[in-house]
Amino acid sequence: MPDELPDLTPEMKAAIGKPGAPTTYEVTSLGIRTFGRAVGYKNAIYFDAAAAKAAGHKDLVSPPGYFGMPVFNPNAAAGRAADFETPFKRNLNGGTGVFPIERVFAGDVLDAVTTLVDLKLDRGRLGQMLIRTSETVYTRKSDGKVVAKTRGTGLSY
Amino acid sequence: MAQTMWDDVSEGQEITLTESTSSQRLVIWAAASGDFYQIHYDDNFAKGNNLPDIIVHGALKGMLVGRLLDEFAGDKGWIESWDVSYRGMDKAREDMTVWGKVTKKYQESGKNLVDLDVGVRQVNGTETTPGRATLSLPKK
Repeated sequence: MPDELPDLTPEMKAAIGKPGAPTTYEVTSLGIRTFGRAVGYKNAIYFDAAAAKAAGHKDLVSPPGYFGMPVFNPNAAAGRAADFETPFKRNLNGGTGVFPIERVFAGDVLDAVTTLVDLKLDRGRLGQMLIRTSETVYTRKSDGKVVAKTRGTGLSY
Repeated sequence: MAQTMWDDVSEGQEITLTESTSSQRLVIWAAASGDFYQIHYDDNFAKGNNLPDIIVHGALKGMLVGRLLDEFAGDKGWIESWDVSYRGMDKAREDMTVWGKVTKKYQESGKNLVDLDVGVRQVNGTETTPGRATLSLPKK
């Protein structure tokens, strides 16, 4: 790969600002407890539905940053194809931002819509890299409320 | 869980957690997050990709920061936001320190707010996950 940074291709530029199709996330009791266990939470509202209700919540509470899991179906049509090609083969998670808006509970089903908000080519410790910044909005299907927004940074090199 | 009151917080105040990163924990995280990339649990795969050992998931570090903030905010507090960058790799099987330091205490739009610098430090003191957060806390 030449050392000079290439320009973003027209396909790359066109992908910025284009929302993806919604992905359905299910927030289950099992998922909440597994997340809470992995992260080391001890607060009973994340493990015990009765304790959560005693604390004034409608059901088991999802810890901050947990929005369930996308529904996996091996028989479903392939997901969204890449909007553009890049010469970079390896990917790293570059960062996470979380902006909680509403409590999320066991039984919630969320629609997640991700939009690529920035794309730039840069040079770093690993050589040339493509830095993607995306924002995801999570909306609860039952009441239409936006429960959280997240920002993710992906590094391809 | 103890409830932090905004009145009792002071700028410069520090909070920490010391967390293990055993392979078992990383496997539980893989199940919780759906991130099954083998560099996080398969020694041979990690070393075959020029890594010194299996490494901790970046997102797990980000969520450990979330837990630190959640436990500080208490049931009556609220995390307005937190944002971290994954600047370095953390080898598994070593303890890490998840930390926060209050940088600003203020009131805005009817909320009692606290800004913090946050991060995750390796045992040798190297910072790998710097970031910032804002909490809303109850007032006495």
